[in-house]
Amino acid sequence: MAKAFKPQVVTANDLIEGDSVFLARSGWVRDIAEARVARTAEEADLLLEAGVVAEAENTVVGPYLVEVGLETGAPVPLLRRERIRAEGGPTFAYAPEGIARAA
Amino acid sequence: MYRYDEFDAAFVAERTQQFRTQVKRRLAGELTEAEFKPLRLMNGVYLQLHAYMLRIAIPYGTLRPDQMRMLAHIAERWDRGYGHFTTRQNIQFNWPKLKDVPDILDALASVEMHAIQTSGNCIRNTTSDPYAGVAPEEIEDPRITAELIRQWSSLHPEFTFLGRKFKIAVTGSEHDRAAIKIHDIGIQIVRGPDGAPGYRVLVGGGLGRSPFIAKELRGFLPKADLLPYLEAALRVYNLHGRRDNKYKARIKILVHELGIEEYARQVEAEFARMDRAAVAAPAEEVARIAAYFALPELPARDTEADAAETRRMAAMEPEFAAWLEQNTAPHRVPGYRAVTVSLKPIGGAPGDATAEQMRVMADVAEHHSAGELRITHEQNVVLPHVAEGALFKVWRALRAEGLDTANKGLVTDIIACPGLDYCALATARSIPVAQDIANRFAEPRRQREIGPLSIKISGCINACGHHHVGHIGILGIDKAGVESYQITLGGDATETASLGDRTGPGFGYDEVPGVIERVVDTYIALREPGETFLAAYRRLGMAPFKEALYADH
Repeated sequence: MAKAFKPQVVTANDLIEGDSVFLARSGWVRDIAEARVARTAEEADLLLEAGVVAEAENTVVGPYLVEVGLETGAPVPLLRRERIRAEGGPTFAYAPEGIARAA
Repeated sequence: MYRYDEFDAAFVAERTQQFRTQVKRRLAGELTEAEFKPLRLMNGVYLQLHAYMLRIAIPYGTLRPDQMRMLAHIAERWDRGYGHFTTRQNIQFNWPKLKDVPDILDALASVEMHAIQTSGNCIRNTTSDPYAGVAPEEIEDPRITAELIRQWSSLHPEFTFLGRKFKIAVTGSEHDRAAIKIHDIGIQIVRGPDGAPGYRVLVGGGLGRSPFIAKELRGFLPKADLLPYLEAALRVYNLHGRRDNKYKARIKILVHELGIEEYARQVEAEFARMDRAAVAAPAEEVARIAAYFALPELPARDTEADAAETRRMAAMEPEFAAWLEQNTAPHRVPGYRAVTVSLKPIGGAPGDATAEQMRVMADVAEHHSAGELRITHEQNVVLPHVAEGALFKVWRALRAEGLDTANKGLVTDIIACPGLDYCALATARSIPVAQDIANRFAEPRRQREIGPLSIKISGCINACGHHHVGHIGILGIDKAGVESYQITLGGDATETASLGDRTGPGFGYDEVPGVIERVVDTYIALREPGETFLAAYRRLGMAPFKEALYADH
């Protein structure tokens, strides 16, 4: 049986800065809440194609689709890896404040 | 310490300029990512989960204060104010922007540092004993050999595109603090039949998805033959090593499949055939290198007065006494100690240091450790030459920046890879697991009662956290979208190296601290007087630990 389609967004890394970015109507954004959501496989193909074009134009690196849930209204990645990535940093308090606090 | 000669300086400067041009072309769209990726990797630039990551080489883990200060400067100017010291004695910055990397490399070159060969399928940074030149039982400073290998292996035309990465470690002591048995090639300086130092050469060690303890390739190799012999060993690997399957491309697989006898036969045949004189290092070059690693002139001390003063301060300050006991080690010069600065504060990220902490360590090294620092594969920092009489002052300076945790070798001195919080390859978190375990065992007295115990955590099968050789190893994997942690017991990275045995089915993220506590409690209940965890496990076997972990499941 074919896997049921789940909503998806396109993500990549910004070429110059390296940080995680998401494809929105206004271009590439840091906040996944603004990302365009594909609700069908066809929409997902089109979104990914836009990502591939952006990579060819040297805006981003390595675009790919991420499955998301929409229960809260905004897209939230289903996989932990992608949730951590969308948060933009580690799941713990990191340096220098985090290191100073631990010390 | 080694200083660049004109060749070294020109080589690094040229390479830095090359990479500046390559980055410029990439940003201008003249190079695709596919074209650029191998170039950036050759210069230590990865693209990780959140950002680019820059891995900087610290040859054999040795740093000068000005170099440590430059790392602090880079952390503040181009990163987020901290760096991460790794299990290969390097440092990684987690947040550099690609456009800034050429400037960072220029800054590094100004203090004789670089990021060359910290990635890619080449010979990586040669690692060594953090107590090199210090340990009383040492035959010879292994960094002389490591530096020779660094020079030989840098941009070696034959070995720049190997089937897979290649890691070499060197120790000059019988007691192995460099984990040589889990390296592609491990080198131990030993004495030959006539008493002269030479090398015992091991091959085919490694961790990852197929872990192996290295096997002996040569029981004794005369020193002058080192580079030709390494060249022969690498040549045989390069010839046979598989390039069709990266999971079978490391030398450990070749040695395993050929058998050590056949591999050794082919190496010896190549060694006999080759023009050894053309490859061997000239004696005068070896002497030039050796001179850089001569023991620094350490002023003679009134050792009795120093010891008395240290004892007096220890009596007044129990925390200093605990640190003295746990974090300092004997030095070959009477009146001196090697100090381990723990980068494992309770609840912290193992191996992380802020720019300010780096500066404090640099200052202390400058004033109290003959201008030397060492990064350890256990993700700590060693101040190798501290006068006993200065220990209290050093402790206070470190304490002011939270660098005084007295836990070297104890249950909270945990090795952890960056894991899913940073790494694009990881399948589970490792640093938060380390933090939870450290919090569980935070009480200093309890840690000391448990005694020597190494916990090593990897967030994926690639085993950057060396979990296979932890007394307790923890491997995080993804199981149908859920983090699951497999536990191994009885691993050992030293001269008595062994791979840990898996306890059984894995545990959930939240269960891990409790699981480790049950393992430790079982050990405490069953140990004989003075028996370490590792010794107890080797005597008792898996059964009582398995019973403790799974009886209720």
